[in-house]
Amino acid sequence: MKPIVDSRYDLEGTSILRLARLALLGKWLPLGNFRGGPGARCLAVLLLLHFLGRPLYAIHLRYGHRLQPLLRRLRRH
Amino acid sequence: MNVRTFHSLDKLIAVGRARAADKDVISFDLFDTLLVRRIHDPDLVKLPVARYIASLAAACGRRIGEREVQRLRDDIERRQRQETGERFDDHEACYPRFMEELLRQIFADRYENGLLDRVTDFELTMENAMLVPRQPFLPWLAELAGQGKRLLVVSDMYLPATHLRRLLAHAGLEPYVEGIVSSADTFLAKASGKAFPMIAEKYGIAPQRWLHIGDNPISDGLRPAEHGIEALVLHDVGEAQRKSLVKRYYNYSDGKPFWRGRVLQQLMAPLEGENVPQPALYRQGYTFLGTLIGLFVQEVARYCLDKGISKIFFLSREGWTFKRYWEKAMPFLYPQGGLPQIEYLYVSRMALAGASCAYQGLTKANADIVFLPVGNRDFRDVCRIFALDLEPLLPHLQRFALQAETALSPAHEGYDPQHRINFDRLLEDDAFQAEIRRQAVEKNRAAVAYFESVGMFAHDKVALVDIGWLGTIQRFLFETIAHRPDCPTCHGLLFGATRGIPYPEDARNQLRGIIYDRYRFDFAASVLTYAQDIFEEACRAPHPTLNGYRLGPQGVELVFRGGEDAIGQAEVEQDAYFAPLQQGIFDSAARFGAAAALLGYQFDDCKPWLNYLLVSKLAFPTAQEVANIRHRHHLDDFHGGKKPQAAFVMGPVPLWGERQWKLRFQPWLRLRHFLGHLRGRINQ
Repeated sequence: MKPIVDSRYDLEGTSILRLARLALLGKWLPLGNFRGGPGARCLAVLLLLHFLGRPLYAIHLRYGHRLQPLLRRLRRH
Repeated sequence: MNVRTFHSLDKLIAVGRARAADKDVISFDLFDTLLVRRIHDPDLVKLPVARYIASLAAACGRRIGEREVQRLRDDIERRQRQETGERFDDHEACYPRFMEELLRQIFADRYENGLLDRVTDFELTMENAMLVPRQPFLPWLAELAGQGKRLLVVSDMYLPATHLRRLLAHAGLEPYVEGIVSSADTFLAKASGKAFPMIAEKYGIAPQRWLHIGDNPISDGLRPAEHGIEALVLHDVGEAQRKSLVKRYYNYSDGKPFWRGRVLQQLMAPLEGENVPQPALYRQGYTFLGTLIGLFVQEVARYCLDKGISKIFFLSREGWTFKRYWEKAMPFLYPQGGLPQIEYLYVSRMALAGASCAYQGLTKANADIVFLPVGNRDFRDVCRIFALDLEPLLPHLQRFALQAETALSPAHEGYDPQHRINFDRLLEDDAFQAEIRRQAVEKNRAAVAYFESVGMFAHDKVALVDIGWLGTIQRFLFETIAHRPDCPTCHGLLFGATRGIPYPEDARNQLRGIIYDRYRFDFAASVLTYAQDIFEEACRAPHPTLNGYRLGPQGVELVFRGGEDAIGQAEVEQDAYFAPLQQGIFDSAARFGAAAALLGYQFDDCKPWLNYLLVSKLAFPTAQEVANIRHRHHLDDFHGGKKPQAAFVMGPVPLWGERQWKLRFQPWLRLRHFLGHLRGRINQ
């Protein structure tokens, strides 16, 4: 017995990791029409948010205001 | 300052419990505190409302697009906020006022009483579908109410308190709440802090005996503290992560069609108290089959409206699930109505095969269908399927050197090609066909009487919705009614059309596969054939198959197969096993409808994701998924029980028939099957 949405806000049985594995296979094998597929960057961001979103947002919500100058510099580059 | 910030709801409630001990009144912010939205942006809920208003306007002869409706709404609301800002500190708006103005502007002289209520009802229905109460608050609210504390809900929102009460009632929070205060009623908001003295005066509250909880550091933290009210502010890390994910799924779906189905699934996923542990079959029903069936019925609706079809018949027994799904999802997708009538039609191949022979006799194509399953061997199987009496037909068989037991299928021992030549000559014999027609005429009369009773002949165009696969039921059904001058045009819409034999299509009788159609090259969707039986078993109605129709004194009667024998018992066992799967499918229906209505996505938008789901779940399943979803029994009365020759039974084992240890430990197994499937589709 498991909930449908896990603690990472991912769907059980249709997880982002499973999608990433199939997308990787799709680079070499014709899997069908996915109309462009997920896209590497989108996939990377979503993987990051699903797996590291909680600690990242914990820092952002606590210290976000202090990190603003750093984030601004990062965005400029 | 009398404000504390928390990054976890559990911690806030723990502190709140302690602080509430010496308070008389606890007030809560509503949105993002007591209730959270499935979507990251609350304004997105307005889009289906704009679509609804546009469709109502179209029904009144006013042509206006949904984007224009939304633009007008925004303009009116903005102007109202500016006007309020001239008289009050806050720039608030009031929904009934700006919505009525919007509707009067769009409908002009066609505006009628009740229109505002209809639009409001739909907007609140969409809000309710998107709002979920924060689970940890529920027991605490009950506890506070039990202690005799006065609970208030205070919101800066364009919906007045009467409307907010409906949202709270739907969420199950209303019984605990003494008062609801909305800035839309007084234009005194939390944002300026003006709401707090007004509430203190109205409810007779001393600020030092008042605890306020909310998510906005200014409106729910700083402002109450300025008025001497203790405040707890929630900055939930989990919610920030969830909303960030939904936002990205939504934004990516705009530029990359692949993500459209995924964001749809994210919005229809259960949240908070809805997200309780469920068995594996339930989860598969909810996330996999439920989504597929949702997209299927959505496309059925679009197709029927496009073709002007006035009635949809969901064919037994899988149509039972489709119809139930339709009934739950369509009120969100088509709130304005205008959809075709729907009806569940009791039919089966066995019930209709005999009736189909009343006017055309036994055709070669229909006789060939009998010998597609290898379990059927001889003329006795023909008689079983077409419900024919063998005795009067035996003399005709003998005239063509055939016996009832002569092997007519190449899959069986004793088969001689000359037998089929003789059989084909028999089918051309007028005396034989006259006897067939004589025997079938009563069955046809009973079947036609049933179709009359459900209003089939009262429509010019009807849709026949079924799971698949060859369209045999529709073939027999159309042949049963084709002789009638009022026979409607039949649009067959199948979940998957594998088309093992050519379907006799013409202008009055058409067939189309929605998720998969063999006549349309769609490689990803073709993996449906990996395990098509599971769709049949998952969608089956909880009643036995229909054996035929009988004309009785009270009209037509349905004759069902008895469930006492081994086949009937196995079917009951299979239904019990798949019960959680079916429950998952049904529970997903309303949430699918709400999510699809909010996003405005159609079947074509979600097709890339649907293709991914099919490939991922059917061609590359986990061993556990195969073990769970694989059916225990798959029964079909159409298939005879005769044993074919070994060469016809032997064949490659399908992936879903492989043993568990192979699925677990052979790393290339799925790839090998997939390459085989690829080769098969290219060569077909």
